[in-house]
Amino acid sequence: MVFLIMRNNSSMKEIREIIHLVLENRGKPHTNSISVASDLRNDFGFDSLDLAELTVRIEAEYDVDIFQDGVVTTVGEILEKISNKQ
Amino acid sequence: MNKLFYKDTIAGLEVSYEQLFTDLANETSYKLYCKFDSYYNVFKEIILSILHGQEIILLDADFSNDETRKLLGDDFLKTGVTRIIEPLGKIKFCDVHERIEANKDSWKITLFTSGTTGLPKKISHTIDSISRFVKKEDKRKDNIWGFAYNPTHMAGLQVFFQAFINQNTIIRLFGVERTATFELIDKYRITNISATPTFYRFLLPADHVCASVQNLTSGGEKFDEKTMQLMQQIFMNSKIRNVYASTEAGTLFASQDDVFTLKPEMLRLVKIVDSELYLHRSMMGESKSFKLTDDWYATGDLIAVQTETPFSFKFISRKTGMINTGGYKVNPAEVEETIRLCNGVKDVHVYEKKNSLLGSIVCCDLIRLDDCLTEKKVREFLQSKLQEYKIPRMITFVESIATTRTGKISRIR
Repeated sequence: MVFLIMRNNSSMKEIREIIHLVLENRGKPHTNSISVASDLRNDFGFDSLDLAELTVRIEAEYDVDIFQDGVVTTVGEILEKISNKQ
Repeated sequence: MNKLFYKDTIAGLEVSYEQLFTDLANETSYKLYCKFDSYYNVFKEIILSILHGQEIILLDADFSNDETRKLLGDDFLKTGVTRIIEPLGKIKFCDVHERIEANKDSWKITLFTSGTTGLPKKISHTIDSISRFVKKEDKRKDNIWGFAYNPTHMAGLQVFFQAFINQNTIIRLFGVERTATFELIDKYRITNISATPTFYRFLLPADHVCASVQNLTSGGEKFDEKTMQLMQQIFMNSKIRNVYASTEAGTLFASQDDVFTLKPEMLRLVKIVDSELYLHRSMMGESKSFKLTDDWYATGDLIAVQTETPFSFKFISRKTGMINTGGYKVNPAEVEETIRLCNGVKDVHVYEKKNSLLGSIVCCDLIRLDDCLTEKKVREFLQSKLQEYKIPRMITFVESIATTRTGKISRIR
């Protein structure tokens, strides 16, 4: 259980970095409020190109296509997909 | 005759014309299926086949047995077949021309395209079709060629024939390290180089001057303006020429920039349908794999007409190479050309990555000249130059970019 929490913490840190990178690439400011409940579209203003970039970067890092089985809305759902794969 | 014919630092080989003609004179056999690691052996077998008026089939040295079996089918079993020939005895260079003329109808050469998809196609050429642009002139007798192609491919053959027919020296550059390439160019005072833009970009940064080179030819891919300008810095005394050639038809057009102007006699041999260039069958080699429509062959090259009289055009892209990202069509060649304008970029390969949201997403592998170049800087540079959907969403910095057997950027992933 402790191991799972640590792993999720480490994934959260990396997902934050990826989200920041996507924001930066579109000339948008970093945000300090990235949590599991954050909504990718509403809170970060991601459009389909941003989401596609997010998918590709996460796939390159974790070998998981987060949108393969349908729409992912929140950061928590991304972590869940990664966790399921691991 | 003691003139140097071929120098190969990779194979550790140096052969004079005298040695070449001694080797040719004593040969009692040649291989119909020519598959050698040694470029010299490839050249020698081609010359032997011409002198004897026999067909020759060129296979890349690195074709695996499985690939060769797929390419040749039942003929695979014949690949080891050696044909017995009468030794030529002592011959002189002038005899070569007579024999080429005499064997014009009986000789043919078969090679395989390096195609971007599927198995390579088998295509045969005659002396006429393979040497359409080859010129023998007294002013060319002292040319020294940098050989920057695979010798079993169309572009390599064109360079070989151009050099050999004028009894020029050939220095191998294909596969040679960057610094060693410059050393060879300077040491042998190479005057002519024909290569792909990918080969030329491999020579960057433009921190060296090769004063001996007088003629630089680029072919096989679109030669972007930035690379052309940088090459003019390295090869400051050189004329730069762009050629359009294909394995199917040989060399067809040449120009000083990226606009090709057709000679009047060529007008009836080309046509444009939906921006695609079509060639008349009389321009083509022979192949069972050609799909002709009313004697016309669709090249798959998209062009933009510049002027009607005289008829001139620019190449835009390959018809099948477009990336579809969320319904938007992206031409990877256009994106690559724009990225190369960015300072610190040595070379780039734009490709599609399948994506469950957009179908495909544009990505690129990039070789940088300096570590200060970041993904963010590249994106910022592109933002004012490309539509957003064309900008690669993921840039990966790499040490090298995969090339095809011909030395072009590989589009297969």
